[in-house]
Amino acid sequence: MKRDRATPLAHTVVVASAIIFAVPIIWMVLSSLKPGTQLTEDPYSLLPVRWQWSNYPDAISSMPYLRYLRNTLVLCIGSVIGSVLSCSVAAYAFARIRWRGRNILFGIVIATMLLPWHVTMIPRFLLLRELGLYNTLAALIVPTFLGDAFFIFLLRQFFLTIPEELSEAGRLDGLSEWGIFSRIIIPLSKPALTTVALFQFIASWNDFNGPLLYLSDPQKFPLAYGLEQFISSYADQTNLLLAAATLFTLPIVLLFLLAQRTFLEGIATTGLKG
Amino acid sequence: MTCGGGTGWDNHAGVVNCVSTSQHTPSARLSKHEDSVPQPSTKPNPLCRELTGLFFASPWLIGFLLLFAYPFAASLYWSFCRYDLLSPPDFIGTANYRRLGAELLAGERFGLALWNTCYYTLLSVPLSIALGIGLATMLSWKIRGQALYRTIFFLPSVMPVVASSVLWMWLLDPRDGIVNYALSWVGIDNQLWFRGASETLAPPGWFDFGSKDALALMSLWGVGNFMVIYLAAIGDIPMQLFEAAELDGAGRLRRFWHVTIPMLSHVIFFNLVMGMIQSVQAFTQIYLVSEGTGEPAGWSLVLSLHLFLSAFQDLDMGYASAMAWILFVVLLVATIGLFRTSRHWVHYQGVVR
Repeated sequence: MKRDRATPLAHTVVVASAIIFAVPIIWMVLSSLKPGTQLTEDPYSLLPVRWQWSNYPDAISSMPYLRYLRNTLVLCIGSVIGSVLSCSVAAYAFARIRWRGRNILFGIVIATMLLPWHVTMIPRFLLLRELGLYNTLAALIVPTFLGDAFFIFLLRQFFLTIPEELSEAGRLDGLSEWGIFSRIIIPLSKPALTTVALFQFIASWNDFNGPLLYLSDPQKFPLAYGLEQFISSYADQTNLLLAAATLFTLPIVLLFLLAQRTFLEGIATTGLKG
Repeated sequence: MTCGGGTGWDNHAGVVNCVSTSQHTPSARLSKHEDSVPQPSTKPNPLCRELTGLFFASPWLIGFLLLFAYPFAASLYWSFCRYDLLSPPDFIGTANYRRLGAELLAGERFGLALWNTCYYTLLSVPLSIALGIGLATMLSWKIRGQALYRTIFFLPSVMPVVASSVLWMWLLDPRDGIVNYALSWVGIDNQLWFRGASETLAPPGWFDFGSKDALALMSLWGVGNFMVIYLAAIGDIPMQLFEAAELDGAGRLRRFWHVTIPMLSHVIFFNLVMGMIQSVQAFTQIYLVSEGTGEPAGWSLVLSLHLFLSAFQDLDMGYASAMAWILFVVLLVATIGLFRTSRHWVHYQGVVR
């Protein structure tokens, strides 16, 4: 990699940009610890006049936080299982089995990625409602068991890199196609499967549109949607709102920091080869 | 399901086993590019292969039929219907499309939404390309703590959109927001942001930031995804190119302009297409900051939001479906158009993968 030695000016530009990018998050965390009065009377002071840690328990108790959290976890875990299962099986069909129709169908997989959600939203909503899934978390989980074009693409690219000889050896040992898939390919694909699991977990954690469309009963709201209810009803308690937002963001940030490599490689690969 | 074909397959083996039974003819499968190699007649039953392929693809295939193919056809049909969910769809010909055309000409709801969408896209996509390249270039410099800076630049893009919307609504608060406070240092006062209807691109209002400018600012903050792709692509540029340019006496700026930028053109193109698609489809943050209304005065009523409200608030499914189809076709034409122009400016040669 060609790297120019940074001049002091360049260094300053980088540090300044980093500060601009970091300020919103730092400001959010610091303000979530301020007393409510400080936000209105002295909105531009950086540090809290008093570190009010009680904002966090207050934010949690001012909404059914634990129930929202439970719903979110059900949603995330269900969706991760669904995506990993359905997408790995489908990706195997598109990467490792030679059948007619494979290329055409894989072209369709790619095409569905480019189809705006607007086109399918209404009939899909009515169909899932017809199936009795309206106002259940299942409306958000069941579709993940039916594959996702982006993840199928990602896994297919990974499966293609596994040497064909390994499958061949499995075949000679009498393994069925399913056996080759589950005993050879899957154990070798942990990095790619982790990427899918991670992306799906975050997508489900963050998902707002799904609950907006399919859920009406507050008992079933996940955090992302529950938090939105909180915006309108506690508009004058910005410190609590920011505490709730910080708490909601924290797991994602931790997950990202723990799995940074997986993350960045996943994005770079799919972006360049896409 | 059996594999059939009169070859004596064991029915109990089921579809997934049928290919393995062919282990007596390994030579048929050793070649990696089977399609181009003449197939010995002893190769596994082709029907079996089809069924195995279909079996493995079946979760996606069912999903495709239920969640894409059927909705695709249904929404096309409904776009020619009056459909309010209470009574069955009622065919009314092209009335929905004519209504959209009339609104477009009058600059009313649909026309306004289309304008808002175009404005937001035209503002945020070019800026995100510039910022993505800028940040990635900075990260490619020899600087201590590079990993930390990369994390800082990337982190906002994984932030849940609900949380970042809450955060930016407050940062851009016209009265108490920290952004207006910072802008007041350089003499730009009293910006309305999410509460404002003005447009920066229009000449009289260069420093009047309204709701769509605020949304574009928010999207720039989340540019990390594209930045990572640019960063990877910069790492792939062969060093000889920079060295050759240096020998030819090109300074830092010229090397950037004549080597880095052309060598990134395939990523710029990717960013352009994906950025356009994402901006046109942006919904959640716009719904959140306008509290689901597109207010103030409809200035953040983008197509996605207008479509959502028409469908689920006004229960005007036919009108909403027609709008979805127009959006789809426009996006398709724009994407094809971009691909056409790409021949003239995107370089794929010399990219190390």
